[in-house]
Amino acid sequence: MIQAALVRPGWWRALAYFLIGSGFGFALVIGLRAIAGLDLFQTEQTGYPHIVVPAITGPLGFLVGIGCFDYWFRWASGAPTIPDDHADHGARTWRDYFKVNTDHKVIGVQYVCTTFFFFFVGGFMAMLIRAELAQPGTQIVDPGVYNGLFSTHAALMIFVFVIPVFAGLANYVLPLMIGAPDMAFPRLNALSFWMLPVAGALFLASYFVPGGAFDAGWTGYAPLSTGAPLGQSFFNLGVQFAGASSVATALNFLVTIITMRAPGMTLWRMPLLVWANLSTSLLVVAATPFIAGVQFMVLFDRVLNTNFFESAFGGDVISYQHIFWFYSHPAVYIMMLPGFGIVSEVISTHARKPIFGYRLMALALIGIVILSYTVWAHHMFVAGMFSWLRVPMMITTLLIAVPTGIKIFSWLGTLFEAKIHLKSTAMLFALAFIVTFTIGGISGVMLGMIPIDIHVSDTYFVVAHIHFVLFGGSVFTIFAGVYHWFPKMTGRMYDERLGRVHFWGTLIGTWGTFVPMHWIGMEGMPRRVADYASEFGAWNLEISIAAFILGAVQLVFLYNMIVSWRYGPKAGPNPWRAKTIEWQVSSPPPIFNFDEIPRVVGGPYEYGVPGARHAIMAGEKAEVKPPERTEAGIGAAS
Amino acid sequence: MESASVAAGAHTADDHDHHGPPEAHQSSRIDRQTLGILLFIITEAMLFGAFFASYFFLRVVANEGSWPPEPFELPVAVAFVNTLILVSSSFTMHWALESIRAGNKRGLQMGLVTTLLLGGTFLFIQLNEYIHVGFSARDDAFGSIFYGLTGLHGAHVFVGLTLLAIATTRAFRGHFGSDAKDHLGVEVPGIYWHFVDVMWIIVFTTVYIL
Repeated sequence: MIQAALVRPGWWRALAYFLIGSGFGFALVIGLRAIAGLDLFQTEQTGYPHIVVPAITGPLGFLVGIGCFDYWFRWASGAPTIPDDHADHGARTWRDYFKVNTDHKVIGVQYVCTTFFFFFVGGFMAMLIRAELAQPGTQIVDPGVYNGLFSTHAALMIFVFVIPVFAGLANYVLPLMIGAPDMAFPRLNALSFWMLPVAGALFLASYFVPGGAFDAGWTGYAPLSTGAPLGQSFFNLGVQFAGASSVATALNFLVTIITMRAPGMTLWRMPLLVWANLSTSLLVVAATPFIAGVQFMVLFDRVLNTNFFESAFGGDVISYQHIFWFYSHPAVYIMMLPGFGIVSEVISTHARKPIFGYRLMALALIGIVILSYTVWAHHMFVAGMFSWLRVPMMITTLLIAVPTGIKIFSWLGTLFEAKIHLKSTAMLFALAFIVTFTIGGISGVMLGMIPIDIHVSDTYFVVAHIHFVLFGGSVFTIFAGVYHWFPKMTGRMYDERLGRVHFWGTLIGTWGTFVPMHWIGMEGMPRRVADYASEFGAWNLEISIAAFILGAVQLVFLYNMIVSWRYGPKAGPNPWRAKTIEWQVSSPPPIFNFDEIPRVVGGPYEYGVPGARHAIMAGEKAEVKPPERTEAGIGAAS
Repeated sequence: MESASVAAGAHTADDHDHHGPPEAHQSSRIDRQTLGILLFIITEAMLFGAFFASYFFLRVVANEGSWPPEPFELPVAVAFVNTLILVSSSFTMHWALESIRAGNKRGLQMGLVTTLLLGGTFLFIQLNEYIHVGFSARDDAFGSIFYGLTGLHGAHVFVGLTLLAIATTRAFRGHFGSDAKDHLGVEVPGIYWHFVDVMWIIVFTTVYIL
């Protein structure tokens, strides 16, 4: 019985291999140190190799044990591979969601649920932060713990919520949208998912090591991070796992989109969500290695005592920021472009109109991809970097507003004179996104201008900006996407009344929390400090109250999702009467998506165009002849 | 490598299609595995980019004097010989691939084994250089970035050798054939191996010559 549990891939074997992996790493370090004649335990402030190395080998053991590598190991050993019986494909009970599964739909649900778990953990940290900041002085947590709280809050939200939740939503709908039976590399897809809880667990584990959670902010600037206590190493490692996960997913998306589109699905017939994930994946593949590289360097400086950032020994501190932002500025578009895609789907469907300027919408995405590599140093105007780099970076930063503006105006053009379906919570979030994101974008343009940036650097103005674009921007689109595809994923409808409560609470909470932060930021309240001058007390109390409202309504969302998933009324295959392919199959879709690959005959958003078809499903008679259009059915602006 | 499932020779999925998903429509001339490895190489190149960025910051911005800084010296001649060894392994890799394209399984095996031996020799000489070079990664930022760049590359050689070792095992078991889809398991690691070689030429030129 026990033996069988340890042979079969699953949680018992994962636990066993985790322990074996950790033990191996520990023994390796101690053994090597004994051979070299060093102290067995190096516990100077940053070292701890006997904990850092097991923190790498243990998670790897977990991934092997849970079964991510079984097939590859069999293949690598030269053994004949077992013909795939698809036993690990699809979920029959809820237990299947806790196993390694190669079905993109199961992986999508796994992704979304895991990331929302971290969203609520990170949100709880935000509540603690706001509780501490409700009054001047320190009441709830001491300043050291506070630093750990805002650092882990940001790391969780960025690396294991916003970035991967988009990958999760797209994992579910993208193969369906392009008429593919699955992703290009289903096993790699499963591995991508399972690296994610590992990353989140590493971030959280940092609370339990000597010195407490990492507290150098999510940016982990050297030399603050190279001299920080042990928890910082867990940040370095967590970022590696999250980064590897997101690179593998991006690669998977790119190959899927390029090689597995249904017949007739030309580039200019792809839904904008597909375009958005194509451009996001290009960013991830080319930018994420930079944060991996720089976190390795920090880890080496910390554990191996190298001198990458040690200026006394010829190291260069500023190089950390350059390399870090060369990833992390594109990363803000990694966190935004998939949201643009979701909003395009939602708005076009619920406004019952073709997307205005479809081709320009797609090209604007590509424009953002290219420009986003040229703006990284606008985060460093006050860092003491080369002064000649400032103005070029300012200009490119302002230029990004052009493709972004094209998208905003195209959404408005789509909404213009449309029959807007306001009953849908997804649409409400999409509309609120346009307004909130535009304001966040404008404060971004302000921050891109050197004089303003110097004035408000490291103040709450920056906090307000990032939350307007990341919460009012990305998270609103995530909610829009979750509500929009909830019927498709679960086969049931959510409660629109509770959805509206969630929407209005979130909208009021977001604005109440983050609008006043602009003002106190202009006045000079510094960010990342547990205490503040008493003149800011009134606004901070208001901000905290609004933040608590914001936090509380997320529980309504959670309740709505869980209860509707279990007891909601059955949703038909296409409750929104949408045109894209994922809505032409049952809800939830059949285990292999299609019996036969559909044939695409027109653009994806031909609402209100008489006789227009996007795709012809298998079994359907193709008596509807696609309308003769030179532009292959691109949504011409009404 | 996902190419596994395709390159597995005798065990294709033909006999149980009716249980499985429909065959995906192939919307591009390039196959998934080759495109996948090319994209992965972009990622890898960018990882090297991070270390090259660090290298040039340290060299140009932080250490304006002579480079390498005063006491350090690099064994350029040894590294050059090593470069020749690694570059020649790219040719033997190509020989292996051309052999299997022509259906010559013996040539495939010999080509792969030679490539493995050359790559192993490269790593051995590299490790030997580390032992005798006279400074460690802790000695100044120069030592850190020297070991950082060459070590990162060495790790890639190791990964490449692992992939080639897998291909070699399968080559000796006769799993590859002359059809393009039957030797992806050689072609894909081969592409990666060429990347490792080209990357070494860039690392060598930057670190030892420039």
